[in-house]
Amino acid sequence: MFKNLKINNNISELNKVALFIENISDDWEIPVKEMLKINLVLEEIISNIIYYAFDDKSTHEINIHASIMENNILKITIEDEGKEFNILEVPPPDNLNAEVEEREIGGLGIHFVKKFMDKIEYQRNENINKLSLFKNIKFD
Amino acid sequence: MKIKDQKINNAIVLEINGRIDTSNYGKIDEVFSKHLNKNENNIIVDFKEMDYISSSGLRILLTTFKKIKAKKGNFMLCSLQENIKEIFDISGFTNIFKIFANQEEAIKEMI
Repeated sequence: MFKNLKINNNISELNKVALFIENISDDWEIPVKEMLKINLVLEEIISNIIYYAFDDKSTHEINIHASIMENNILKITIEDEGKEFNILEVPPPDNLNAEVEEREIGGLGIHFVKKFMDKIEYQRNENINKLSLFKNIKFD
Repeated sequence: MKIKDQKINNAIVLEINGRIDTSNYGKIDEVFSKHLNKNENNIIVDFKEMDYISSSGLRILLTTFKKIKAKKGNFMLCSLQENIKEIFDISGFTNIFKIFANQEEAIKEMI
């Protein structure tokens, strides 16, 4: 079973992503708790692509592909033609225990992706970033 | 996202209904700024009806907390749902913010 969504690199398109995750969760009976985490992960990744991946003002496509594999593993692949970027190479935030005065803004999005997904794979093919996320779904 | 805005005792109590994400975090930022500009620096945010927050929303909470601290005010959060608590735990925010189980406790603590 798989589903696909194409969006543009525009923040207003994030609503389509939320809806897409809701729809696949309905269809594939993914529990709400899991759905919210998956939604969060996708929002963080796609916001980063929209904000940082492109230097021009043009419209670019972002492709999202979701499927359920054997052993109840949800696989989501995000492809974009932006600047090369591998989230696996981003170091974890080092200030999670800081007091509010010292706490810096930033770095949380990627942190959530790594915490909520069970496996992450990155490939750069020609000029395409391909990020694959895997999560073991605990069905009710 | 809907925000119910009321004054209780010496505090502003904001009840958020819906989600805070990258597409709408500006709205809550505006409400915070409005109150801080009026020197209403004691703010309670009630998360009972909020089921989703992403890093954009967390960022606003953090920057607002810093502003409130600088103005010697008090910033409190209450009624976090379980999945929101988890997000706060993972981001280390549970240790930074004053979090209460419900609005009544936060209001009592404000006085």
